[in-house]
Amino acid sequence: MSEADSVPVASPVDECAQPQELALEFRGSAQEYFHIWIVNLCLTLLTLGVFSAWAKVRKKRYFYSSITIDKTPFQYLAEPLPILKGRIIAVVLFAIYWFSSSFYLPALPWVLGAGMLIAPWVISRSAAFNARYSAFRNMTFQFRGNYLGAAQAIYWLGLIPVLVVGTMFEWWGHLQAAGIAFLVFFLLFPWWLSRVKHFMVSYASFGGERGEYSATGRQFFRVYFVAGLIVTGCGLLSAAAFWVVGPLSISSDWSLVIVSVPGYLGYMLGYAYIQANTNNLVWNHTRLGPLRFRSTLTGSGMGKLYFTNAVGIIVSLGLLTPWAVMRTLKYRADNMHVRVDGELSELTGGEISAVQAAGAELGAIFDVDLSL
Amino acid sequence: MNGQSFSHQGYYYDGRQPLRRSATLAFAAGEATLVWDGEPRQYGVSSTLVSPRVGSADRFISLPDGGQFQCADDPMLDLLPQHSKTEGAVAWLEQRVAVAVASVVLTVSLLVSGYEYGLPAAAKHVAAEIPIETEQALGEQALVWLDDSDWFKPSELDQDTQDRIRSEFEGLFAELSFAQHYRLAFRESRYIGANAFALPGGTIVITDDMVNLAESDQEVLAILAHEIGHVELRHVMRHVLQDSAVAVAAATITGDAATLSVAVAGLPSVVAQAEYSRDFEIEADDFAFELLRQHEMSPEAFATVMERVQADCECEPGALDFLSTHPVTGERIKRARAAAQDFEIY
Repeated sequence: MSEADSVPVASPVDECAQPQELALEFRGSAQEYFHIWIVNLCLTLLTLGVFSAWAKVRKKRYFYSSITIDKTPFQYLAEPLPILKGRIIAVVLFAIYWFSSSFYLPALPWVLGAGMLIAPWVISRSAAFNARYSAFRNMTFQFRGNYLGAAQAIYWLGLIPVLVVGTMFEWWGHLQAAGIAFLVFFLLFPWWLSRVKHFMVSYASFGGERGEYSATGRQFFRVYFVAGLIVTGCGLLSAAAFWVVGPLSISSDWSLVIVSVPGYLGYMLGYAYIQANTNNLVWNHTRLGPLRFRSTLTGSGMGKLYFTNAVGIIVSLGLLTPWAVMRTLKYRADNMHVRVDGELSELTGGEISAVQAAGAELGAIFDVDLSL
Repeated sequence: MNGQSFSHQGYYYDGRQPLRRSATLAFAAGEATLVWDGEPRQYGVSSTLVSPRVGSADRFISLPDGGQFQCADDPMLDLLPQHSKTEGAVAWLEQRVAVAVASVVLTVSLLVSGYEYGLPAAAKHVAAEIPIETEQALGEQALVWLDDSDWFKPSELDQDTQDRIRSEFEGLFAELSFAQHYRLAFRESRYIGANAFALPGGTIVITDDMVNLAESDQEVLAILAHEIGHVELRHVMRHVLQDSAVAVAAATITGDAATLSVAVAGLPSVVAQAEYSRDFEIEADDFAFELLRQHEMSPEAFATVMERVQADCECEPGALDFLSTHPVTGERIKRARAAAQDFEIY
């Protein structure tokens, strides 16, 4: 990037008064990450999972330090022990959920209900944990969203709990009503997602400035609508393939494979399109004090990446996983641009508050990662 | 530390504003001296903390006044007080090619042996500790659900046939450890054809088509003996335990990749489930042969009825066989014949 060279390196302060683009550089290497990945994986297996807390910290430290803005890498500051404690709690809760869903179905609605009660806590705590232990230029991030805020964001006037609890206890009577309820939820999903992103961005802060978020549900809807068209189009191709292959006398398994390929690729492309464009949407409508962001990911770029990653990982029986991780991070970093509209000195460090790790680990194992 | 001196070019961050300042940090005689704008600041070396080494990334030295100094990695930094007490050793391992190679070998052998022997053995052990009653509610719910849905209709077999098979079935399991848990349910189904399966908790369902396809009660009993094997060997519980362990392990290993590639996430679990199922079928077959022998019946009946089932559904081997949950039927027939020959000898 040419901007990188134009930033003068001079004491005491290397900032210009003009609005400027900060050079974002990715320094990770697949070879280095392979070492970190395999050593930590091996130790995790040898310790039957206990070491996974260290593995998580080591990997996150590497990811964070691989991304530099204007020559300064990010820092991940969390310690393994609180993460291990959180993981133990998460594993116990997950075992309760797994057992009730496998063997004791009458208890499942109650377990899910309890899960809905603690979900806002998990979400706000994991966001707070991640923010607190992420730092840039010796200043940690903060997240001040609380239980109530998270509950309002994800449950949306109680609409979603009513829907879920109602389905569990069969309030709808017959299937059609449940179908309509889910169709309504399906159509409202983009607006819901925008609410959640709004919550995540506007309670995050750095240097005393809170994030400002301006994307709308309508913009998310457009992304999901186009993705729906992509998936439908490829589904039609699959149907056409079935029509062509059907009469041919090849083994039924092989024709199944041939027929499902376009459908599967369509699913992958739709997924990549959503990932790329929702990511762009959030970043391009987020401001933080003097900082402006521009994300230029494309559905096709992301789709190509996903496809080649999947092929590489399968062919190498998993050994190319670090390579896939690194090139994905690089692609994302290369398409991220940060601009300062004003002065970086407008951002000033505040007090530091310790956060318990349990919330963050629950989020990881139940895969409720709602972060940016 | 005291005897050595060195200095580093880098950047200083005061912790109050996100501004980068070029600076030098020099170490000599137990003192760290920071120079960034003319007036040097001195700190005791013992009150500084260095961030853990990771890859070849820059490291950060925390200073006692809340400031931080960033510089390129250097072995000399290991002589300063470290922020993390445990990660230095991990970083040392991560730095070495020989360790990486050894880790690959060790990881692969741990995964393979755990998958082939460790996990099945552990699951068998744990399942034996969990009472079979825990499965009963699930089995009862499943049967109610199947009866309510379109899948099952009441059996159309005449009462005499049902009673006769039932009493022979009762003779078969009378001496087994879960004897009081076995139930036999006759059902008519137009979807699953000639089939029999064991539900969690000891209920065994056999379809009318299966009874009609068998040409003797011995053949029906051979099928039922196989299903008794599934119950007696706790295959449901072991399946749940093994599958969840594989899912957790797969999530750990592909964790990084899963978020970037939808294709790889579930694949190992699917393949593992299929393979464990095949192992359980073989195990249940062997159990059935032994049970039949104890009741002075030849496993030959199992071979003949399996041949009929095979002819009935005209199953052909296909490209997705590695995902099939049942071993190739021909192989199972061969094994039954071999067991029948042993039976003739005794």
